Amino acid sequence: MDSSPPAPQSSDPPASSGTQGAHVPAQRRAHPSESGPPAEPATTASSDTPADASAAPPQEERFWKAGRLEPMPIRSLPKAPPSIHILGPTVFLVALGVGMGESYMWPRLVLIFGPEIRWLFLIGLSLQAVVMLEMSRYAMATGESIFYGAARVFKPLMWFFFLTAILVYIWPGHLSAGASAFERVTGIPWQATAVAGMLLVGVVFTLAKVIYDLLENVLSVCIGLLVVGTSVVAAMVGDLSDLTSTLSGMFAFGYLPDEAMTAAWFPIIVGAIAFAGPSGMQQMWYTLHLRDKGAGMGAHIPKIRGLRHAGEQETMPSRGFMFDTSDPAEMAKWKGWRRWVTFDALVLFWGITMLVTISFTVLAQSAARTDPQVTELIRAGDREASLDAMAGAFSAAGSPVLGTVFFLFIALIGLNATLGLFDSFSRGQADMTYNFVPGAKRFGLSKLYSMFLWGLIGFGILILLFGPADGPAAILDVLAFLSAFAMGAYCVVLLLVNNITLPKPIRPGIVSNAIIAFAAVFYLGALFYSLFAFGVVVD
Amino acid sequence: MPASSALRPWGSAAVHLEVAVPGAAIGAVAGLFATGVGMAAGLPAAMTGTAGLALGLPLAVLGAAYSVLLARGVFPIGAVAPLALYWLLGFPAAQLFDAHMVAWVTGAGSALREPLPSFLLLQAMLSLGFTIGFLWLHERTMPHWLMRVRGHNPVAEALFQRYVEHAAHLQRRRGPGRAPRGRRRPD
Repeated sequence: MDSSPPAPQSSDPPASSGTQGAHVPAQRRAHPSESGPPAEPATTASSDTPADASAAPPQEERFWKAGRLEPMPIRSLPKAPPSIHILGPTVFLVALGVGMGESYMWPRLVLIFGPEIRWLFLIGLSLQAVVMLEMSRYAMATGESIFYGAARVFKPLMWFFFLTAILVYIWPGHLSAGASAFERVTGIPWQATAVAGMLLVGVVFTLAKVIYDLLENVLSVCIGLLVVGTSVVAAMVGDLSDLTSTLSGMFAFGYLPDEAMTAAWFPIIVGAIAFAGPSGMQQMWYTLHLRDKGAGMGAHIPKIRGLRHAGEQETMPSRGFMFDTSDPAEMAKWKGWRRWVTFDALVLFWGITMLVTISFTVLAQSAARTDPQVTELIRAGDREASLDAMAGAFSAAGSPVLGTVFFLFIALIGLNATLGLFDSFSRGQADMTYNFVPGAKRFGLSKLYSMFLWGLIGFGILILLFGPADGPAAILDVLAFLSAFAMGAYCVVLLLVNNITLPKPIRPGIVSNAIIAFAAVFYLGALFYSLFAFGVVVD
Repeated sequence: MPASSALRPWGSAAVHLEVAVPGAAIGAVAGLFATGVGMAAGLPAAMTGTAGLALGLPLAVLGAAYSVLLARGVFPIGAVAPLALYWLLGFPAAQLFDAHMVAWVTGAGSALREPLPSFLLLQAMLSLGFTIGFLWLHERTMPHWLMRVRGHNPVAEALFQRYVEHAAHLQRRRGPGRAPRGRRRPD
């Protein structure tokens, strides 16, 4: 593998130079040289020239060769936008991440083991923030998804994730959980809400001109409401001791009661750590959202359009791009992008996920205080019974509003997760199909996206209407099991991709590598320890 | 456009009220959250209405005031710390007002569940979460709102230009002058 920095290319037609004035890098249309048929395999110093008649006189095109797949042409890195003004693709991770783990699993563990157990949540969420930063490294440096990066290392790795995504995410688990909560509030059967919700998602994504822009706006508002709403409600029902114990519990490092290491609870705790923040393949999909946001070299890749506007879809280049890492000006811009995504990871992703889960924990502690039986019900009952118990505690305390609030928040979380999951799944599968299934390019990315989207919706409706009537809880159990394995696997892939396919100057440092390696060992180790020591999978 | 120089100090109330819409709306939505939920839960209308109004009204007023103060340049655009300080005082005050109003309407003897200092401290700590959510929504909605009304509203135009200038300023700060020195790895 050639690890020397890519050399400059003066005839490079930049997507947005970023060196003049101040602007937020806008998505540009694909350059003709990027939109044409796949380039022939090239060496690092190919004599191919960009097919742009308006560009400077033909000069030697330079490439970055990564793996056995098509080399990446060198292009200019756009300038990073100001952090606070761009609520970036993190909204997808927050939308996907603030799910049942934050709203149910961790509050439940706090009621069982005390607030000191929350140090494990802190570890789990912080690990996810580092994973997010490392996922973004490859995506922003190349404009390619992590799936493409995996294929550059070893193509079967990519196919593994293609199949895993289908196995795990074809079940409408998050949707049914939210819809079930909505049923408690409105009385509308959850199957009807779920089917209507899926059809609505499909129609909206089909009609949208640019899917990413629509979804980012919707999710941003939903998350903003969630943060504001949970803060207000926690302020209404919580008391100071709930909040202080929740906060101090996060720093009780090493606290692990004996009961936590039993067959009954260890798998649940491991699953809850895996659910701390985005789980399963959600981090991998984040790289696709970064690309559509135009982050880093993603600015050179066209956005996915809705099916109704598929005719306007620019042809996707058959590979990503690399910037000149030997150019100090380019590296300065790269630092800007790293600051931008670090702000996203630490302030938006870590901070908001933490805020929401703190509010939910305060709510749960308030419920247990007003009705001490809640803890026993939660310990003995299944997930739905526990949700009922927590909501019921609020109602029994003379405030039925709070039980309703609890279910409405679960419904809102379900809606967020559904929007994000349906888009992410379709985006990831379409990306892999487009790039690696022979003949798929003739359909275009918009149509492939829609095929997967409507396939997911159709299957989901069939399952909800005619599938096993186990209810949403059973579906979530399957997701929890496979989540841990997928997460361990993508940590390994991340290490390989970032350390093999990127130029040395932008590879991760030793600390980042060590943390990702620890995450891989932790996710896979805990999964298999649970299997062999207790004979059960994570819950 | 040099809109700010064309404005008289504080201008007319109408143009400021128009600029205040995003902050007021977010505050009202946050405060009225309880109202909608209370209706869904079938609580007595008087209690539901009081709880929602008594919380929604002060939050809406404070939210509107933030938008106006932002337009007047008292608050910097997008800054978390000054807004956190603002809600550190405003959020507990709104909650205190709400608790007393509900107790007064329902005839409850005690308005607070715990001693006043503990109540205020809890609200102050939770105000940070509210701040983040409020700013998140405000930054999302205000620029869109300004683009709609700046044609006829000089205060909105001035604020819109500040948003543009602020973005340009941040971009310049990240210009070539801040190129890395002597450190090869970018992060």
